[in-house]
Amino acid sequence: MKKREKVNFSRLPFTKKDKKGTILVENIIFIILNMIFLIVLILFLVRQGSGAIVLEETYAKQIAMIADASQPIMLIKMDMSKGKEISDNNKIDFNKIISIDGNIVSVRLSGDEGYEYAFFNDVDVGHYPEIDDITGEYTGMYIFTINKKVEVAE
Amino acid sequence: MGKEYKINKNGTDKILSMYWFVLLTLIAGGVFAMVYVFYGAPYDIREVESALLVEKIADCISERGTIDSEFFAADSGELNANIGEDFIKKCFLNFEVEKGYTENEIQYFYEVEFYTIKNTEASILSFNGGNTNLREDCFIKKENDKEYTSLAKCTQNGLYALDSEGNQYLIKILSAIDKSEKNVK
Repeated sequence: MKKREKVNFSRLPFTKKDKKGTILVENIIFIILNMIFLIVLILFLVRQGSGAIVLEETYAKQIAMIADASQPIMLIKMDMSKGKEISDNNKIDFNKIISIDGNIVSVRLSGDEGYEYAFFNDVDVGHYPEIDDITGEYTGMYIFTINKKVEVAE
Repeated sequence: MGKEYKINKNGTDKILSMYWFVLLTLIAGGVFAMVYVFYGAPYDIREVESALLVEKIADCISERGTIDSEFFAADSGELNANIGEDFIKKCFLNFEVEKGYTENEIQYFYEVEFYTIKNTEASILSFNGGNTNLREDCFIKKENDKEYTSLAKCTQNGLYALDSEGNQYLIKILSAIDKSEKNVK
């Protein structure tokens, strides 16, 4: 059988070694724009999930459900560290993000009005943020005390 | 004739990148829209609330399987027909609602029915409270249709309990929570 001739690929036109490598400005701009696009998209998704408005509603409804499910003489701890981060960024004291007026819970993490939600259990709900004994700073936890409502004689 | 036409390869590249950005914009638009729809819709907790209301009422009526003596008339020992009048106060319920609702727009409803164990068809005592208009919402067949999401969410549950003499009763509790403004978009 006849032996096949060896092919020298370096001589073929598509592997020209003498071709100058050029950086195309258009391609770089294209890649940069794509990256900016993706970063903006990812940031948007991350911020939407942990935004003040979403958390205000979540916390208000969680506290209302805690109050509804509880019975007098209970102490309940709730992790609100994500809310602490947002209230710190918005320069709102962590101590003042929750207010409970009668049976209406209000949570405010930004400069806006906040979010209100009512619970039906007629109990006295007290609340205060937990403070670290050593550092004296807020731990990010909130403590809720459930007690029987005391009727004040007028 | 014989004129050669050179293909402008650079031109096709530019057109391709333009389409690429159009495609990206469409994808981004879709993602933005989906995220807004997802996070823009409030969390619907009414089913949990109505179940909690039923539990609260059940705990108020019966403690460890025995019906509270206040539910019986002191003289006859029969079920007290007037118990429904003061039920909200007796069971520590508060139906006040937040700003945005008027005072007449009560967002809660409950109904309690007592049956003897011999006849679970006809109730011997029945009373309700809250917004009675919400009762009808509980009996409308909801087949995951979007139109029905704004209707009140209901929970119905029953329990067996004894009186002080050991007579057995079936107690059916129905609760409904509206609050559609805060739970449905």
